[in-house]
Amino acid sequence: MKRKAFVMAALSLALVAANVSTVQADALVGQSAPSFTATDTNGKSHALADFKGKYVVLEWTNYDCPFVVKQYSTQAMQEMQKMAAGKGVVWLSVNSSAAGKQGNYPAEKWNTLAKEKGAAPKAILLDGDGKIGQLYGAKTTPHMYIINPEGKLIYNGAIDDKPTTDAATKPQTNYVAAALTEAMAGKPVTVATTRPYGCSVKY
Amino acid sequence: MIFWLAVGFTVLTAPVAAIPVRSAHTEAELISEVSSVQPGRPFWVALRLKMDPEWHTYWLNPGDSGTATTLQWQQPAGVQASPIRWPYPQRISAPPLASYGYEGTVYLLSEIQAPADLKPGQKLALRAKAEWLECKVECLPGAGTVALELPVQAEAAVPSAHADAIASARGRLPVTVADWKLRAAVQQGQLILRATRPEWFAGEIGPVIFFPEQDLLIEPAAPQVLEARPDGFLLKLKRSAVGAAIPERIAGVLVAPAGWRGAGSEQALSARVALEPAAAVLSAGAPDLAGLLVAVAFAFLGGIILNLMPCVLPVLSIKVLGFVQEARTGHSWRYGLAFTAGVLASFWLLAGGLLLLRAGGEQLGWGFQLQSPPFLVILCAVLFLFGLNLFGIFEVGTALTRLGGAGPTGGLGGSFFSGVLATTVATPCTAPFMGSALGYALTQPTWAALLVFTALGLGMASPYLLLSLSPALLRFVPKPGAWMETFKQAMGFLLMGTVVWLGWVLGLQAGVGALAALLAALVVLGAAAWALGKWGHMAAPAPTRLTARVLAALGIVGALGMALVGVEQQSAASSGPTQATATPSEGIRWEAFSPQRLAALRAAGTPVFIDFTAAWCLSCQVNERVAFSSPQVREAFARGGFVMIKADWTKRDATIAQALAQFGRSGVPLYVLYGPTAGAPPRILPEVLTPDIIVKALQELS
Repeated sequence: MKRKAFVMAALSLALVAANVSTVQADALVGQSAPSFTATDTNGKSHALADFKGKYVVLEWTNYDCPFVVKQYSTQAMQEMQKMAAGKGVVWLSVNSSAAGKQGNYPAEKWNTLAKEKGAAPKAILLDGDGKIGQLYGAKTTPHMYIINPEGKLIYNGAIDDKPTTDAATKPQTNYVAAALTEAMAGKPVTVATTRPYGCSVKY
Repeated sequence: MIFWLAVGFTVLTAPVAAIPVRSAHTEAELISEVSSVQPGRPFWVALRLKMDPEWHTYWLNPGDSGTATTLQWQQPAGVQASPIRWPYPQRISAPPLASYGYEGTVYLLSEIQAPADLKPGQKLALRAKAEWLECKVECLPGAGTVALELPVQAEAAVPSAHADAIASARGRLPVTVADWKLRAAVQQGQLILRATRPEWFAGEIGPVIFFPEQDLLIEPAAPQVLEARPDGFLLKLKRSAVGAAIPERIAGVLVAPAGWRGAGSEQALSARVALEPAAAVLSAGAPDLAGLLVAVAFAFLGGIILNLMPCVLPVLSIKVLGFVQEARTGHSWRYGLAFTAGVLASFWLLAGGLLLLRAGGEQLGWGFQLQSPPFLVILCAVLFLFGLNLFGIFEVGTALTRLGGAGPTGGLGGSFFSGVLATTVATPCTAPFMGSALGYALTQPTWAALLVFTALGLGMASPYLLLSLSPALLRFVPKPGAWMETFKQAMGFLLMGTVVWLGWVLGLQAGVGALAALLAALVVLGAAAWALGKWGHMAAPAPTRLTARVLAALGIVGALGMALVGVEQQSAASSGPTQATATPSEGIRWEAFSPQRLAALRAAGTPVFIDFTAAWCLSCQVNERVAFSSPQVREAFARGGFVMIKADWTKRDATIAQALAQFGRSGVPLYVLYGPTAGAPPRILPEVLTPDIIVKALQELS
């Protein structure tokens, strides 16, 4: 009987502990970037661990979101992607739109659209169940993250300082370009966390 | 761009009609509070955005996504336009994200200073480029140039047709009042706002929500936990998860639909406060001693009454049986103490768990463990085995000898366990006196909360403790005999009844598949107990006994494991509301609880009755059957035009937990009655309902 009492007590404690562990994690600047594995639009699997030793940029995207449209119609995004590729930076576009929601396409359509836009990411990762998005706390499209060669997150936030869909408004600072430039020159990143702006990620 | 138009002929008093601009889902128009302008005088204009249903635009801080509406004035020198003055927003939820913005129609205000050198007969032309983002699920940018011309005249300005709309929009601007004292601190991932009410303020402040003006200050989608304090309230907000630097001062808007200066007064309060050390802000209100004493007394009384609640009754019978057995052995006080220890230990465990989770920002309340399907499975299994034991299908250890009166070895542990069991099954019945005491306890410092819980446990255990300490009273306890075996077996059925009830709760929470998994597990458990009883007893040969015990142990562990896995899968599959929600019952059409719906009903002055209930709350079930079965009650509600809302808390639900907290409660039942007067504080009905109580309360309201 005594044992039963202890078992009950232990079970209650275990339940309490199980509840505590459901706290959602977000990617924090200065900490290790959460690891993930995802399949790209060509059916190829990529793990974050594969890119150890390189800078990695994660770009949450949804080609139908007007903020993303602006970044691509002004060629700003493509130029950044090309510049990054030239410096050996791994650029991954991630789409976390749930099935049936805006921005969720079949893989082939992604490839066609990316080609039309002249987009140049290393891969477009399909995250339809929103796992990677929630792991990183991705809130908007675009929402940008930079991971350094040691696997630490060094930037989390907006793409630039102009939260608008108006193509005529030119940003003063592109946070991602600035952070990459600083980090690659061995300097600390001045602006490492900003509020991402844009459309909500369609989880 | 045309700024000034000198018009030579007769001045019309009506403004030149402004032409609205339309985007896909929003109509934008510049409107003015006045239809004529007096030189040198300020006046208000507004960008009116009319959104299609379900579409929204954004506040100055858009929250998790979106972008604020902007206005770029195109005025010549001399005409000053203030930046947008933002009416307070609403929280637009799209889990796991949330935005701050507006639905329906919003008036983004601006104050215009007319130059003193304007000449009567001229026209003042206002022009601005507006840009907004309109979203439903998808987002679309909207933009357009809005313009307005107003005649200038020497006399005082004439109000326009929009004057009322603009005045009421101005009423939504945050006010700065000196008599509400606000303080703020950051502690353990939380931003804590503490508000002290002015002495003259007697009303209820009700639900409060904070809208930060700063980026990355709090998580927009996280629940905001309101804790009532004797002198005001604490609002606990989850800090932004990305952990950006904490500003020295925080800026934002606190919104309370009840009004900060009494019913019908301003609902938005401008909050601009410097951060202080957490200890200073939190300790500023030590629990007042009188309040604590009352809570302790109520908790003790509530604990005693708890013994009479339908939840505790099945276990109570076991306890009575134990007493009959142990009464004759002398030293019965030891069993009373062991029982008390069992009750206290489990109350502390529950309270500790609750306080720990509360500190972590979880939205929980009393009875939270019964919202967990795995916990229900284990409780069912324990009660089922206990019942089989009472039936005599198997005996545990020395139970046989104990019944024979040979000696109470193992009885102390048994008493302790009865205490644990009694407490576990008692939690679904927050008895009268206990609801408010528990609610109070959870808003207090840990030591004060534990004191209240201890009083509660002592109250519950006190009748047994008294009986065991005073041998004279034992004379009234019947003598042991053969009747005890019959009584014991009969008590087994009470426990089986409890298992059936908990099974029903599990079915509501996790679906019929989970219930089937539980029932299958109970069959295996029954077989294991049967094997143990048939071959595992002391009279059986040692190898047989050992085999039977090993098999029984495997059966019990296996059955529980399978049931837990099954229930886990089933409950993952059924995440919708429980069936008890929003279905007509007792001839009443219930609506599901939603704070937005409640606020809308309150604003319209519609009388509302809210039933905070849960399937696992037996007293709620009893109350509802008793109270709402009466035709007079149903008629009275219908006559008063009441909207009936059921807040079903069977499963974990942060919104309902938050609503309970706003009434200073941590558990169900709670019955809230809002009368037809908009802004009037609600009336809380007692935890035990009768048709009379309801009918009387309704009469007093009207």
